[in-house]
Amino acid sequence: MKPLGGARFTFALALLFVFAVVVGVFVGPASLTPREVFAALTGGGGPGAAIVWALRIPRVVLGLLVGGVLAVSGASLQVLVRNPLADPYLLGLSGGAGLGAVLAMTAGVGTPWLVPAAAFVGAVATMGAVYALASAAGGALDGRVLLLAGVVVGAFAGALVSGILAVSASQGARSALVWLMGGLGGVGWPGVLALAAYALPGLVVLAAEARTLNLLAMGEEPARHLGADVTRSRRRVYLAASLLTAAAVAAAGIIGFVGLVVPHAIRMLRGHDHRVLLPAAFVAGGALLVLADAGARTAFAPLELPVGVVTVVVGVPVFAFLLRRWTARSSS
Amino acid sequence: MDSPVFELSGATVRYGRGLAPSLDGAGFRVGAGEIVALVGPNGAGKTTALRALLGLVPLEAGRAEVLGRPVRSWRPRELARAVGVVVQREEPAFPVTVEETVTMGRYAHAGPWRALGDADRAAIRRALERADVAGLRERLVQTLSGGEWQRVRVARALAQEPRALVLDEPTASLDLRHEMELFELVAGLVRDEGLAALVVSHHLNVAARFAGRLVLVHGGRVVADDVPERVLEPERLAAVFGWPVAVQRLPDGTVQLYPERRPAAPGGLP
Amino acid sequence: MAVLRLSARSVLSIVVLGALAACSRPAGRGAIVRVDDWGRTVALAAPARRIVSLIPATTELVFALGIGERLVGRTRWCEYPAAARTVPDVGDGISPNVEAVAARHPDLVILYASSADRAAADRFAALGIPTVALALDRTADVRRAALLVGALAGVTHAADSLVAAFDSLRAVVIAEGDRRHGPRPKVYVDVWAQPPMTVGRGSYLDEIVRAAGGDNLFDDVRASSATVSLESIVRRDPDVILVLQSDTTRVPDLASRPGWGAVRAVREGRILVVDGALYGQPSPRMPLAARDLAARLAHIGPVR
Repeated sequence: MKPLGGARFTFALALLFVFAVVVGVFVGPASLTPREVFAALTGGGGPGAAIVWALRIPRVVLGLLVGGVLAVSGASLQVLVRNPLADPYLLGLSGGAGLGAVLAMTAGVGTPWLVPAAAFVGAVATMGAVYALASAAGGALDGRVLLLAGVVVGAFAGALVSGILAVSASQGARSALVWLMGGLGGVGWPGVLALAAYALPGLVVLAAEARTLNLLAMGEEPARHLGADVTRSRRRVYLAASLLTAAAVAAAGIIGFVGLVVPHAIRMLRGHDHRVLLPAAFVAGGALLVLADAGARTAFAPLELPVGVVTVVVGVPVFAFLLRRWTARSSS
Repeated sequence: MDSPVFELSGATVRYGRGLAPSLDGAGFRVGAGEIVALVGPNGAGKTTALRALLGLVPLEAGRAEVLGRPVRSWRPRELARAVGVVVQREEPAFPVTVEETVTMGRYAHAGPWRALGDADRAAIRRALERADVAGLRERLVQTLSGGEWQRVRVARALAQEPRALVLDEPTASLDLRHEMELFELVAGLVRDEGLAALVVSHHLNVAARFAGRLVLVHGGRVVADDVPERVLEPERLAAVFGWPVAVQRLPDGTVQLYPERRPAAPGGLP
Repeated sequence: MAVLRLSARSVLSIVVLGALAACSRPAGRGAIVRVDDWGRTVALAAPARRIVSLIPATTELVFALGIGERLVGRTRWCEYPAAARTVPDVGDGISPNVEAVAARHPDLVILYASSADRAAADRFAALGIPTVALALDRTADVRRAALLVGALAGVTHAADSLVAAFDSLRAVVIAEGDRRHGPRPKVYVDVWAQPPMTVGRGSYLDEIVRAAGGDNLFDDVRASSATVSLESIVRRDPDVILVLQSDTTRVPDLASRPGWGAVRAVREGRILVVDGALYGQPSPRMPLAARDLAARLAHIGPVR
């Protein structure tokens, strides 16, 4: 069983993207009829206008960005640690973001910007700590050392968070954890723009390293013999992927599963060439997250689920289907 | 040999301060159209010599040069265009096809940006055919046998269109037939395309059959560097390997050795 | 309940044992026996004289019952009345610090009936300290707690008066609310900003809002607290947004929250800030809170 051919794959991806955007804009707990949504989109006023423009569309755009960024970051980090089970948060970033968020909430009153900014700073600090630790073992950031350093630093940050929660008198600290559970409603258009600004350099760097990632996936030594500047590439990939993840966490909290599974799904469907894998993962990750968010808002209206719950619930059956297809293929 | 492809001269490598040197003033050359086999007991320094020649370890003393220039002065892609390396063991962490693998050999030429052109595709096709793995193109490498995977990696090295091939224990896990086929492939490439080949091998007999020269390494030093017949002398081998051997000359002129039994100790096993 | 088939002899044995158990209390006449919210029997030999209250509401109750001097320990969250602040602070209410509490030598500890406190209750029992667990979540629970605490402290008269006053004031406030003209204002209770969290039907805040003559925007949600989508809030178009804060002079800038500008009440500035300490947890002052809220709702002007 061959993987999907190029044209079919691109078409399927485009279809998924369009479907996700449509669902994200037309579906929601406010039960707007399609006519009302159309009216809002085409500049008519109506009850739907505020909901569509101020609430749904920013969430769709943010979802596309966050999901895309997480998927690309996950794919890159999986190569870096040579482990298909890696996700963007493996290297301690979630712990650092949590620590930043908790400190911000305990210390200050929230302007809406304080917590995302603090989470970003926390994630970047963890990134630096892991980088320093892993560099001590050699400039090329050996995959196993990276993993260990990430786990250690993440555990340290997590322990600090627990400690702060235990002794803090303010309710804010506990609420930080609620924020961390993830959601696309928190930042609005300014947040979308900020994320885009932070994400763009990271995405460009990873796109440039895409072919090198193909080589790195075979191992450091083979990659070196094939002509890759392993040390420099690994460092660049690590920094870019970590910055992307930090920006995504700052914008939307911690949303799991997307960064782990979307790269796999694309690999199963389309193979391993990262020049195709990375863009495809970006589109698919974004679409999946938008769909999950629509589900999170609507499934139990007016209640809203954390979007990370829905990504798992939606993602697992899809992934199981792909897995069956792939194991059938690889044993033929 | 006017300008050797590989040259190691007076090389000393120490892996840590205070440790004994892994390579102690070793030196040899490999020229175009030659197959040279690096042989010796475990820990003699064969792999270290290889890594020194590829610029993977720094030298405490001496020179390691590729095509007349110090190997550490080559940029990674530059070196990859000159030397194709087949390592002993490689385990991809992700499912990759044979074609994707061999295509990686063009990285040295195309770099991270340039799209693959006709020249690249031709080189890939030639490499697949030369290594006899063209029929496995769409297969995932994880589903290949050891011998097939080895040949795919040779194909990848060939796709680099190098001037030299370096193989580190290429037949360690291959059966008789695959081992012979691999060496015949390398010999054919050297003969037909004038490559230089440096092979590290444990299998003295096979190396003796195919290599033009044997470089015998012991204790970090080169103790013999000559045609197989002159290197494979019983006394020398017994001293280096610590086991008595006998050497037999075959009708076609090649030399083969076989290990002898130790003389029975009094009261011991025969 | 299972139907037990007992022989006459077993019945007699049980009666005798029960009588013996009751007689084992030395001062039989002063003994107070009640059942707490975990279904356990709480038996005190004499009215409680050294009380540690691990719930802010019962701290208030103890003072309201006029026996504030008997309080020897409170949680750090118990800040009303002002006199409570002079009582030693023994730490948190949930998962309490057993040693700190025991160091106060109480003869009664009032616990919040959450599963996190079961372990603590066992440890107090091991130390021989009687505990009473109260599930103090709503208005009805406050009444019940007043009677229970009053009984255990031997001040049932004070408790009855307190409850009577509580009930009558509450009835007055509700009647006032019902007499208001015009539709009941829809109130969105803003518990948390991101993700938006509010209260559901039957929660304490929901009860205050209803008593004050308003309707909780999400009283169709059964859970006492819930995360809702901002879209639903916009769609349901609340008339007023209720925010609990410790500093009631500062009106939070809800318009700066991303997306909240779509809510009409935010655009029109119809935001009420109330004291989190009074409104945020069950308290005997509930009727006061409801009356306060009713006044503010009336003040904020016509709804539509």
